[in-house]
Amino acid sequence: MRTLSFFSLALLTAWSPLASAADLLPADRPIEQVIDHYIEARLQQEKVVPAGQIDDANLIRRLTLDLNGRIPTAAEVQAFVRSTDPAKRAKLIDRLMASPAFVRHQATEFDTMLMAGTNASIRDYLLKAFANNRSWDRIFRELLLPDENDPQQQGASAFMKPRLTDLDKLTNDVSVAFFGVNVSCARCHDHPLVPDWKQDHFFGMKAFFNRTFDNGGFLGERGYGVLKFKTTKGVEKQAKMMFLTGKVIEAPASSEPSNEEQKKEKAALEEAKRKKKAPPAPSFSARAQLVKVALEPEQRDFFARALVNRLWLRLHGHGLVAPLDQMHSENAPSHPELLTWLARDTVAHGYDVRRLLRGLVMSKTYSRSSRWDGEVTPALNLFAVARVRPLTPMQMATSLRLATSDPASFAADRKPQEVEKKIEQLEGSASGFARLIEQPHEDFQISVSEALLFSNNDRVLREFLAEGGDRLLTRLKQARNPREVIDLAVRNVCSRDPRPEEIPVLVEYLSKRADRPTEAQRQLIWALLTSAEFRFNY
Amino acid sequence: MAAPRKTFCGSPDHALDRRGFLGAALATGGAFAADMTGLNVLTQAALAGELKKKQRRCILLWLAGGASQLETWDPKPGAATGGPFRAIQTSVPGVHISELMPRMARRLSRNTALVRSLNTRNGDHGGGARLMMRGRRDEANIRYPDLGAVLARELGQTESKVPDYVSFYFATEGRDFAPGAAGFLGSRYAPMELYKSMIPENIRKLDSISALDHKERADLRDFLTRQFERGRSSSTLASHNEAYQRVRGLMACDKLFDIEQEPAKMREHYGPTQFGEQALVARRLVEAGVPFVRVARAWWDSHGQNFETHQELVPELDHVMGALLDDLEQRGLLDSTLVITLAEFGRTPGINASLGRDHFASAWSMSLSGCGIKGGAVYGKTDASGNRVVEGEVGAAEVFATIYAALGINPQKNYYLGSRPIPLTDPGTKPIKEVLA
Repeated sequence: MRTLSFFSLALLTAWSPLASAADLLPADRPIEQVIDHYIEARLQQEKVVPAGQIDDANLIRRLTLDLNGRIPTAAEVQAFVRSTDPAKRAKLIDRLMASPAFVRHQATEFDTMLMAGTNASIRDYLLKAFANNRSWDRIFRELLLPDENDPQQQGASAFMKPRLTDLDKLTNDVSVAFFGVNVSCARCHDHPLVPDWKQDHFFGMKAFFNRTFDNGGFLGERGYGVLKFKTTKGVEKQAKMMFLTGKVIEAPASSEPSNEEQKKEKAALEEAKRKKKAPPAPSFSARAQLVKVALEPEQRDFFARALVNRLWLRLHGHGLVAPLDQMHSENAPSHPELLTWLARDTVAHGYDVRRLLRGLVMSKTYSRSSRWDGEVTPALNLFAVARVRPLTPMQMATSLRLATSDPASFAADRKPQEVEKKIEQLEGSASGFARLIEQPHEDFQISVSEALLFSNNDRVLREFLAEGGDRLLTRLKQARNPREVIDLAVRNVCSRDPRPEEIPVLVEYLSKRADRPTEAQRQLIWALLTSAEFRFNY
Repeated sequence: MAAPRKTFCGSPDHALDRRGFLGAALATGGAFAADMTGLNVLTQAALAGELKKKQRRCILLWLAGGASQLETWDPKPGAATGGPFRAIQTSVPGVHISELMPRMARRLSRNTALVRSLNTRNGDHGGGARLMMRGRRDEANIRYPDLGAVLARELGQTESKVPDYVSFYFATEGRDFAPGAAGFLGSRYAPMELYKSMIPENIRKLDSISALDHKERADLRDFLTRQFERGRSSSTLASHNEAYQRVRGLMACDKLFDIEQEPAKMREHYGPTQFGEQALVARRLVEAGVPFVRVARAWWDSHGQNFETHQELVPELDHVMGALLDDLEQRGLLDSTLVITLAEFGRTPGINASLGRDHFASAWSMSLSGCGIKGGAVYGKTDASGNRVVEGEVGAAEVFATIYAALGINPQKNYYLGSRPIPLTDPGTKPIKEVLA
């Protein structure tokens, strides 16, 4: 049944990745206005009234998690809620994006995305790259064509290296990460459902990597070498370097080197190994050709759209093209004009990730409530209601630390640099616990082992629920009555004021345990930390 | 014969076996999200017992490192490389197995089928183990779930009070070659893995909190979560709450893992070995409704001293497997429980200079007993020396299709990964119908 709907979809859509931009909204409109325009238009067409805007406490929590990878402090929430400045949202976003925590969070997010399926990390490289607001095309170039002698690019080659033992995987990983295209089905046969993807595409992409190898821990590339594959009919074919758009790169005629040349080459490689340096690049580099063709005006649409879609997915929990790696003619975007406009804008502004993110979080679409009071929840791809998104391991671990710290350490009268420093320390100490939390993915299910860990593990008790100088629990002990305990705890953990309907329940819980107040407070913190509200960005 | 069945962990959480009901519902209805509305029928204990019998489950005895088919299910006593052990007549006329397995020889015709024609083409520990746990080769960007995860999903139940997938693997050898993998099914179906302790991690309450506070703290969490969930729906959100809802049930299960709960006679029946004790726990678990348990016995990788290794390990396997099958049969559980012996590969007929046998994936054997299996069936044949399959060659895909079919699961059922349909076994794969009841 499902496959049938695919073919019918193919008949219905006239989407092309290179659709003309003539009818789009003007290029000089702010990103957020364009997003809201196209999202609203579709909602009206579907006669769906979207969920309302979130309140300020919810907004600062969402923004702080998305931009700095942690929940806000109680003082930050209070200041934001109380502010009457009409530009407070933009100012908050700018403050969060100026924080070093923004760079760290971006590096973590992109590292997770780019290095999935390997045990390696390029986070150190990404930290430098995002600190200097390096453009996405530059990052792409440096990851695929790293200059291992340039200190600015230190660590970039770790993107390629762990993948060199499996060029099929490298080919697919690059296609998914940078172009939003999963070509793996086309390895063994032309894609059964998507006429776009033939074996020629898979091997065409692989041909860009076929000459790359590991030379004593450094990336090497030969100037020759052909890639052959067998079609499903058993015919042997020689792969041409071909980008996903079908654009073929004609490589200069290269013959296998003579014995003499091979000897020379081998000596040069051995020499590079001895000197612990990257071997000389070939005069014609297939990888460089991929970087070049992918960014050419006629071909760069995949690259720009994939970035837009990835950031959209991160912030909305659902892509404009979903799934993320299925960007092809059989799987139309939910808002084709919007995606085209955003891709055009991204290209026009030099693939500036920071600018794009800022536009995305400024939109009303971003700040919709995740609560739907109507009967039938609208389809995800209408973006009528925000999707609850599970926290990533680092968001979760850092937020757990923050939520269980004494709020006085982050009080409004503390110096901003001091607070920033303290948060950085918390983040550093959170990475150990983060390893116990699973990275969310599509259709993510939270495991019972997580619930068991929080319910019965000594480490949770020690790290988050213990007493100590800078701990929330110690602060709660000084509260004069249950209501004060509840105010402090809920503000610190949930980043909001307690709600009228929960106060009596919480008061009763504490009062029932008047003989063991510290235990009662510990249990209160535990219940707040393990509630779904804390586990999600909502 | 069968003593009145107790609720094994002594917990009221298990008195009502909703799982059994749903297992049956799944087998007939085939729907994953089962309808909970009919559950009150289960207050009738007799019906619950009846449904419990219908629920299907599986115990995998994983012979890690690669057991020799020649010293177990497919001896070649006449051949130059047949080794020192004799072959003995089984209860199936004309079928012989190694003399190291007298107990299984006696009961072979009752519930057990042999497949002697595996050619799985992967003689590497890691690759072979992944292949035989998942039924197919890895593919770029698809993380396949293994057998346990698929069965947890197909035979388990969302709000189950017992684990869905339990794996015992105490040895360190080979453990990392194929760790339990839920793959794209997600960690909801990941195994509860036991590496060191017979009791799973984090299922026992810390002493620092009283039982009452532990429970009421969870109730408070539940209250807060329900407030939050109003007007919000997502399967991830639901999974969070389900995970916490399962905590108390699982904590109540700690007795399931405790063999002290078994009478001394039953423990003697399985024997004092670790493998025997884990097999006994496996029986306790499947009886309580756990759909899949793997018990790994390592290390069969006999590159040297193959015959000494097998002289030690095979009789233990024979004893434990026989004891497990007898016990399940006496309890009326064998009709609904499939017991499998499998490994990453078999061993070479050729004997090397260290008197060992090496990795061999071209012609080896496995056994299937109980649920859905035709007792005494022997499928496939190797040549006189055991070097190659001459009849009925099958690979990992056919093995998995057979397991699914025996458990009443359609081997061609699709999962969807994004838009891509992923059948349980590759299209066109046929179960080995000769061994199916």
